[in-house]
Amino acid sequence: MINITEIILVITLLSVLLSLGSTRLMMLVKVMALQGIMVSLTPLFLKSHGSLSSGAIIFFQVMILIKGLLIPGLLYLAVKRVAIKREIEPFIGYHASILAGLVIILVSVFITNNLRLSLPEGHGMVLITAITTMASGFFLMMGRSKAITQIIGYLMLENGIYLIGTALTNHRHTIYVVEFGVLLDLLVGVMIMGIILHNINSTFEDVDTTLLGRLKD
Amino acid sequence: MIEFVFILPIVAGLTALALPVSMGRILLMITALLHFQLTIMSWIGKLTPTFPNFFSASPEGLLILLVTSFIFIWISIYSYSYMNETEVENKPVFNCCMLLFLGTMSMVTLAEHPIVLWIAVEATTLVSAPLIFVHHSRDALEATWKYILICSVGIALALLGCFFITLAMDLGNIDAPLSFNSLNEVATKLDPVWLKVGFIFVVIGFGTKMGLAPMHTWLPDAHSQAPSPASAMLSGALLNCAFLGIFKVHVLMNVAGLGDFSSNVLIGFGLVSMLVGAVFIIGQPDYKRMLAYSSIKNMGVIAFGVGIGGFAMYGAFLHLIHHSLLKSSLFLSAGNILLAFGTKRVQRIGGVINHLPKTFVSFFAGFIGISGLPPFGLFISEIIIITGAFQSGRYLSVAVFLFALLLVFAGAGRVFMSMSFGKPSGKVEHGELKLRLLPPYALLVASVVLCIWMPDVIYQAIINTIETVGGGIHG
Repeated sequence: MINITEIILVITLLSVLLSLGSTRLMMLVKVMALQGIMVSLTPLFLKSHGSLSSGAIIFFQVMILIKGLLIPGLLYLAVKRVAIKREIEPFIGYHASILAGLVIILVSVFITNNLRLSLPEGHGMVLITAITTMASGFFLMMGRSKAITQIIGYLMLENGIYLIGTALTNHRHTIYVVEFGVLLDLLVGVMIMGIILHNINSTFEDVDTTLLGRLKD
Repeated sequence: MIEFVFILPIVAGLTALALPVSMGRILLMITALLHFQLTIMSWIGKLTPTFPNFFSASPEGLLILLVTSFIFIWISIYSYSYMNETEVENKPVFNCCMLLFLGTMSMVTLAEHPIVLWIAVEATTLVSAPLIFVHHSRDALEATWKYILICSVGIALALLGCFFITLAMDLGNIDAPLSFNSLNEVATKLDPVWLKVGFIFVVIGFGTKMGLAPMHTWLPDAHSQAPSPASAMLSGALLNCAFLGIFKVHVLMNVAGLGDFSSNVLIGFGLVSMLVGAVFIIGQPDYKRMLAYSSIKNMGVIAFGVGIGGFAMYGAFLHLIHHSLLKSSLFLSAGNILLAFGTKRVQRIGGVINHLPKTFVSFFAGFIGISGLPPFGLFISEIIIITGAFQSGRYLSVAVFLFALLLVFAGAGRVFMSMSFGKPSGKVEHGELKLRLLPPYALLVASVVLCIWMPDVIYQAIINTIETVGGGIHG
């Protein structure tokens, strides 16, 4: 029997691998939009949540709007405006990155199996996906030199943390007002990062973070 | 409606964006005074929370709110004059962000729900980033990028920690609202393993924001590149707010019976921060960076004192208050020197005593205060912390503590001496103005006064804060 949750999680995992291997920034932004939508859909299909109130439905719609449209839209504008001449330029090559992504998945499976958590049925898979997404987000931040890939890495990290929040915690504690605050912070954060990115570009004529190395002791 | 305490500055901040600069500056000062009034009203219990699940007035929160509000009054007066004399492209943004910064920090101090606290701390990062970027230079750009990226990622880990604490609640099968008060009530039923993991992540996350080593890397850059009033806010108020997040979870750990674990973690981070701060102060060529490293060291002292517990915990809170007063005073004096000499390099500055005699007094008094010498408050708080550490028999930690203090004194002494008494350099650009002199003096005087005469309400607030964690004045 095909389980919708699992399909969503597999797509999320694939999007993680795809983002580790993508050579084009535009591609990366599109992958992030897909991942954002998948992550926002996950809690809807988890069994323990039961029937949703009208407030919850509105919240999830807003969430898809922000994670799937607004944030990738901002990133898209940023990529267009800074008109990046050279593409991603990794410290760690693409093939090595994909390999690292696979290793991260294996490690996440290992961690999840060894935690022996009394998770509700089907949540183990969510945890695996969440840890993979988080770790790959970190990997992307450290393995690429462009400032914009670091923002994308941060977003991936946030997606992973959000998945852990939905996978592990029971939803009666989380109140949608609070989650909405988290989302809003994320949105404003990406906006401010985008503004600074634009300024880095106009000052240094590039968005390579290796140029930012003047302040040190 | 205790929420007014943070709603007022946020609304005023957004208004300041639309007003012309001169009116925005006046609004800054008026809001500072009104905010202080609201703070006093919440102290005497005139304001009650409308959303008790999200916001409430805890003694530790009120303490930090009072300190923040008090130093903000003086900083707003200072920035009235300072921003008038500096070349900045977008001054309304500065006024707006200063007010939003105050608002979000007040929100941190009143937060009762762990994730609301997280939202507020992340919001402080976002609204203070433009303050660091005010000068639009390459260095400022780099500092802002580091600040926003390192702090956002760090605080994201704190969110993970909050989720783990929620998980600890689920595994204990507890059905209670997620707020610090109700968590403390059911603390013993929480799952200890996940509570510990949650605490580690919260310490790493909020510790990044608080400037605990080795997560402190953004702090010296941000503090040195921001304009002086903003540096004073960052150092004097923001670091305390991040500390509040760690402290609240530390209280939870203590009530849950895991106090030893969390104390050891805090002592470890505290000592490392003190050493890192001390080592980088020695031979530091930039005086604002030196002050930033001194903040790292002092945050280490606070974490250390809280970790030791008992009598030292009282010292830690005294240290928090006095550090805020003295460090913001020092950053304001440093701002006067920066305006006059136009450089942050220690080597190019000499003879502050000849050129700026009045600033010299506040600058040098600040040095005496920050080195932990009487008559300023850090003297008392450090002695209390050392006594507390002796009482609990941690002799090795005391040795490291004293060694770090010695290094700081030697390193800072060299900088302050050469700047104050060195060979006088050429002429100075901006003279001394009353509005820029009064605030550093007032903050120094406040520290001395608190040393001699501690108001009963403040004393009682500290005692109320620490008694749940087994701290007290009688050891």
